[in-house]
Amino acid sequence: MKRNAFYAFASPSIVIMFALMVLPLLMAIFLSFQYMTFRNVTAPEFVGLRNFIEIFEDQRFWRSFEFTALYIAIVVPSWVVIGFVVALFLDQVSGLVRGVYLSIFLLPFIIVPIIGTIMFKQLWEPSGLLTWLYQQITGARFRVNETSVKTLIIVFGIWYVTPFTIVVYFAGFQTLPIEMFEAASIDGATRMQKIRHIVIPYVSSLTIFILLFSIMDSYRVFDSVFVLSELNPQFKADTVMTYTFLTAMQVQRLGKANAMAIITVIGIMVVLVPFLYLMYKEQIEER
Amino acid sequence: MDRVTSRPGRVLVHIVLVLFAVYSLVPFFWTTLQSFKTFKDAFSRAPIFIFQPTWKNYQEVWIRSLPDAGSSVGYIILMAAVIITCLMLFARYIPINPAWIYIGGLIGYGVLLWAIPQQVYMAKYYNYFINTIVVTVFTIITSISIGCLAGYALARYAGMAAVVILIAALAFRALPRLAFVLPYFWIGSLTNLLDTHILVIVALVAVNQPFTIWMLRSFFMEVPKDLEESAMVDGANRLTSFLNVIVPVAWPGIISTALFTLLLAYNEFLLVRVLTQTNWTLPVAISRYTGAEDPAQLTLAAAASVSATIPIIVVILFFQKHLVKGLAAGAVKG
Repeated sequence: MKRNAFYAFASPSIVIMFALMVLPLLMAIFLSFQYMTFRNVTAPEFVGLRNFIEIFEDQRFWRSFEFTALYIAIVVPSWVVIGFVVALFLDQVSGLVRGVYLSIFLLPFIIVPIIGTIMFKQLWEPSGLLTWLYQQITGARFRVNETSVKTLIIVFGIWYVTPFTIVVYFAGFQTLPIEMFEAASIDGATRMQKIRHIVIPYVSSLTIFILLFSIMDSYRVFDSVFVLSELNPQFKADTVMTYTFLTAMQVQRLGKANAMAIITVIGIMVVLVPFLYLMYKEQIEER
Repeated sequence: MDRVTSRPGRVLVHIVLVLFAVYSLVPFFWTTLQSFKTFKDAFSRAPIFIFQPTWKNYQEVWIRSLPDAGSSVGYIILMAAVIITCLMLFARYIPINPAWIYIGGLIGYGVLLWAIPQQVYMAKYYNYFINTIVVTVFTIITSISIGCLAGYALARYAGMAAVVILIAALAFRALPRLAFVLPYFWIGSLTNLLDTHILVIVALVAVNQPFTIWMLRSFFMEVPKDLEESAMVDGANRLTSFLNVIVPVAWPGIISTALFTLLLAYNEFLLVRVLTQTNWTLPVAISRYTGAEDPAQLTLAAAASVSATIPIIVVILFFQKHLVKGLAAGAVKG
C-alpha cells in the first residue's frame, strides 16, 4: 500500500485518537499543575507542584495504594492458576458438553461488571445466601467492616476475570502439538510430568501476556470497588482509581485528581515500556 | 492433551467442571430468585427457595402506571419480542434470504421500543434503557466504520508510521480511563456538552479505538493480498475493492469486533458516570439502586440487574461462536 493511501484510510482514526487521547493526556498534565474545583473550571489557578506534594503527604492516598498493591498481589496469581487448572479440565471434554460449560464459565466475564458486582453483593446482604451459609459454618455473624469489604472486593475480582484466563489458556491448549504427548506417553511419562514439562513451557509466552495485561487491568480496577466499598460508608476500601474518582467528583479537587491520574499513568508506563519495546521489535521484524 | 480414560478420572473431571459451573452461576441464581420475591420473603433471615413468585419488582422498575388492559398489553408485547427473537435465531432454517429476516427483526425491535411507551406509562428506567441502546448503536457504527479503514490500512502498509501508530495505540489501551475522562469532563463543562449523548458516544469511540484497530488489523492480516490486487487490476480503485472484496471476506472478524464494542459500550460505567448527570445508561442507573439507604431497594436492584442482563444473554445466544473466536484471537495474537 502506498503512503498516501495509508494516510487516506487511517486518518479518521488517527484524528480521533489524537484529539481524544493525546490531547486529553496533555490537558491532564496541564491540569495537574492547577488548582481547580467545580467552581473555577473556566479559570484554573496555577499552583506548580503543590498537588503532587499534597498527594505524597496524603495518608488516604497511600492506604489506597497499599490496597491496590495487595489486590494485584492476590488477584493476578489466582487468575493465572485457576484459569490454567480449569482450562486443563475443560480440555478433557468435547462437543456440546464443552460448549455448554464454556458459555456458563464465560458468563461472569461477559455481563456488565457493575451488575455482576450488584449480584455478588446480593449474596452478602443481611438476608443473602452466603451470609446465611457463613453463619451456619462459622457460627459467627457476617460483619461489614474494612477487612470483610476488602476480602469481598478481592474475591469478586477473582470471580469475574478468571473466565478470561480460562479462554486464553484453553485456546492455547488447542494448538499443542500432539506428537510431543505421544512421544512422552511412549517414554512412560505421567500426566503430571506431561503438564510440568510440555504444557507449562509451551504456554509460557501466553502466561507472560496474561500476567502483563492482568497487572495493568487490576491496577485500573474501578467498577466493582466503587459498588462494594459503598457497603462501608467510610470508604476505607479504596483503590487508587476509586480514590482518584472521589477526589474529583466528591471532594471536587479536579487538579489534584488529575495529578493522581498522571502518577498512575507513569506507574503503568514503567511496567509497560519493556513490553512496548518488545512489540516494537516484533513489528519491525514483521516488515 | 490426551484424554483421561479411567472411569474415576472421568467422574472427577465432571465433578470439577460442575462445581466450577455452580461457582460461576451462584450470584445469577440468587439474584434471579430475589428479584421474584416479595419484600417479606427477600428479607427472611434463612434463605427461602420455595415461595410465591411475583412480578411486582419488575413492574415497579419498568412501569409507572398500568393501563386498564394491563395484562393483555403486556402479553402482546412479550409475545412480539419472543417471536422476533426466535425468528432471528432460527433464520437459517427459514427458506428466505436470512439478511431480510435480520433486517426485518431489527426494524421489529425498533417499532416495539417505539410503540411500548405509546401504550404504557413507562418509568424512568425505560429512558435509561433507550439511552443505552442509542449510545451503544452509534458507538458501534462509528467505531467499526473508522476502525475498519484504519485496521485495513495498518494491515497493508509497511512504513514506520504504521508501527508508531500501533505501538502508541497499545500504550493508550493500557492507560486508565480516568486519565482521559477527567479532561473530557473539563472539555464538557467548558463547552456545555456534559450530559449529552454525543459527548458520551465520541468519548466511547475514542477510548475503544486502540482495541478496535488492533483487533480488526489482525483479521485483515488473514485476508490474502492477491484478492484486492486482482480486483484492482480489473480497474477498481482501493476504496471500492476494499468495500466490495475485502470487507465481505473479513466479515466474521468485523462481527466479532462489533460484538466486543457492543459489550464495552453497554458495560461502560466510569465514563458515563462522570460525563452525565441525568442521561444515564443502565450501569449507572442500576448503581443508584444500591447506594441508597432504603432496604426496599434490594429486590428492585435485583429486578433491574436481571432485566439489564437479558439483552446481553440474547446477544450471546446469537453470536457465541464469534465471541469465543474474538477472545482467543485478541489474546493469542496480542
